[in-house]
Amino acid sequence: MKWFKSNSWSLALLPAFLFTFCLVVYGLFMAAQESVTTLNGFSTDAYKKIFQNEAFLDSLTYSLRIAFVSTTLSLVLGLLLTKFLFETLKNHLARTMVWLPMLFPHFVWGYMMILLFSQTGWFSTMLHAMSIIDSPDQFPVLTNDRYGIGIIITYTLKEIPFVVLMLLPVYAQLNRDLPNVVKTLGGNKWHVFKTVEWPWLFPVLMEAGLIVFAFILAAFEVPYLLGTTYPKMVSVLAYEWFYQGDWSKRPESFAVMMTVTAIIFGLLVLLLSLVSRSRYRMMKGNGM
Amino acid sequence: MRENRNWSILYIIFAFVLFFPVQLLFAKSVSYGWRWGEIIPTSFSERGFTVLLNDSRFYSAIGMTLLIGIIVILLNLLIAVPAARALAFHTFRGKWIVEVVLLLPILIPSLAVAMGIHITMIRLGLADHWLGVVLVHLIPTVPYSIKILRSGFERLGQKWEEQASSLGGTKAAILYRIYLPQLLPSFRSMVFLIFVISLSQYALTSIIGGGNVLTLAMLYFPFLSSVDEAVIASFSIVFALLPICVMIGFELVFRLVIPYQKRVFLD
Repeated sequence: MKWFKSNSWSLALLPAFLFTFCLVVYGLFMAAQESVTTLNGFSTDAYKKIFQNEAFLDSLTYSLRIAFVSTTLSLVLGLLLTKFLFETLKNHLARTMVWLPMLFPHFVWGYMMILLFSQTGWFSTMLHAMSIIDSPDQFPVLTNDRYGIGIIITYTLKEIPFVVLMLLPVYAQLNRDLPNVVKTLGGNKWHVFKTVEWPWLFPVLMEAGLIVFAFILAAFEVPYLLGTTYPKMVSVLAYEWFYQGDWSKRPESFAVMMTVTAIIFGLLVLLLSLVSRSRYRMMKGNGM
Repeated sequence: MRENRNWSILYIIFAFVLFFPVQLLFAKSVSYGWRWGEIIPTSFSERGFTVLLNDSRFYSAIGMTLLIGIIVILLNLLIAVPAARALAFHTFRGKWIVEVVLLLPILIPSLAVAMGIHITMIRLGLADHWLGVVLVHLIPTVPYSIKILRSGFERLGQKWEEQASSLGGTKAAILYRIYLPQLLPSFRSMVFLIFVISLSQYALTSIIGGGNVLTLAMLYFPFLSSVDEAVIASFSIVFALLPICVMIGFELVFRLVIPYQKRVFLD
C-alpha cells in the first residue's frame, strides 16, 4: 500500500487497465471458455474438429499468407517512403496528405479496388482501349481471386500510411551527426543505414509489423468483400460458423478465433525476445 | 533541387494511390450506364445520390453513427489522457509489461472478444443497444488514443507543468492553459482516427448490435450486393464526408473551449 501512496500517479492508469481487463481480457477468457464447453461439459473436441477440417486448415494458411505478404509489403514500402521523403514530410501539407488515405474506411478502399482491378474494372477497360485485350475475361482475376491479391493490394495501400506515421518520429529523433561520423570513418550510405538508422528503426518496424499483421490476420470486412467462397479468411469462417442456425458450430467458431489469438500471442512473445529492451525503446510511444 | 524532386515523387504517389481511385469513385457515383470499354462515363445522372437521400434508414444510420462515434471519442479521452500522461512522464519497474498490456486490445482479434462478451452483453441488456456497441468500439480505438496522446505529452515534456506549478498554477489551470492548447494537434489526430475506426466497424457492430443498431457500415454491406453501382459509389463518398464533418464539429468546439491556439489544421 505504501508503494501506491508514494506513486499516486499510477491511479491514472486505472481507467485504461479497467477497460483492458473488464472488456478485452474478460471477453477473451469467455471466448476461450466457450471454445471448450459442449453440452456434456468440458471438451477439446472443437479444436480436434477444426484441425481435422480441411476448410479451416486451408483458410488458416490462406489468411497467414495474405497477412504475411501484405505486412511485408507495407513495411518495406512504408520504410522506403519515410526514408526518402522524410525532409518533405516535415511539411504540414505533405503530412496531411499521408493522413488522407485513412479518411476512407478500409472496406470503401476495398470497393475502390474492385472498381480498379476487377475484370470489368477500369484497368481492364484501359487495356481494352490500348487494344491489349478484347474482352473482360482476358483480364487476370485480381479481385475475389483464389490468392487474395485484391485483399493484399487493399491492405498494403491502407497500411502504408500507418507505417509511415509510426516511422516518422524515429527519423525525427535520429541524431543528425552520426551519419557524418560514419562517413568520416569511410562508411557509405548502406553503412549509415545499417549502423545509425536500423537500430532505432528495428523495434518500431517490428511493433508496426505486429500490429498490422494481427489486424490483417483477424480482419473481417475486406475479406468479406473481396474474398472468394473458398478458401475464406479465418474471421469470415468464424463469423459464419458463429451465426449458423443451430449454434452447433459455435464452439468451433470460438476455437478458430482462439487459434488465431494464440498465433498472434506467439508472435508477440517472439518479438519481445527479439527486441531487447535494454537497448531498444520497444513499445515506446511515438507519433503513432 | 532535391527538395523539388521529392515533392514530385510524393505528388505522383499521392495521385496514383489516393486521388485516382477516389476520382473514379466520384465519376462512378454520378455516371449513368457506364459500361466496360468506356474509359470515361458517357452520360451522367444524380440518381445514385437521390436513391440514397430518399432512403429514410440512411438518416437514422447517420445519426446513430455520429452518436456512437462521438461518445467513443469522449470515452477514449477519459481513458487515454491520464494513462498517456502517466506513461510519458513516469518510469518504473515493469513499465514494458504495462505497455504490452495496453497494446493488447489491438493485438487480440476483436472478433474473438466481441463473440466472447456477447452472452454477457445480453445478460446486462447491452446487446442490441447502442451502448453495447460503444463499449465494443472502444476495443480497437483506445490503444491508438493512448499512443497518440503519449507522444504528444512526450514532445511537450514536463518542464511546462513544473514551471506553471512553481508560479502557483493549480492542476486545473495547468490542464486548461498548458496541456489543452499544446496537445491540440494530438487531439485532432485522435478525433479523426478514432472516428474513422468506429465508422469502419461492421463485424463488431453486427455481433453486439444484432442488427438493431443500424450504423452506416451496417447499411453499406447489404447495398454492396446490389447491382446499382452508382448508389454504392455515392454511399462510399458519404463515408469520407462524415469524418470531415466530425472534424469540423470538433474544431469548432476546440476554438470555443481551448485558449491560445495556433491555427493549423492537421499535425
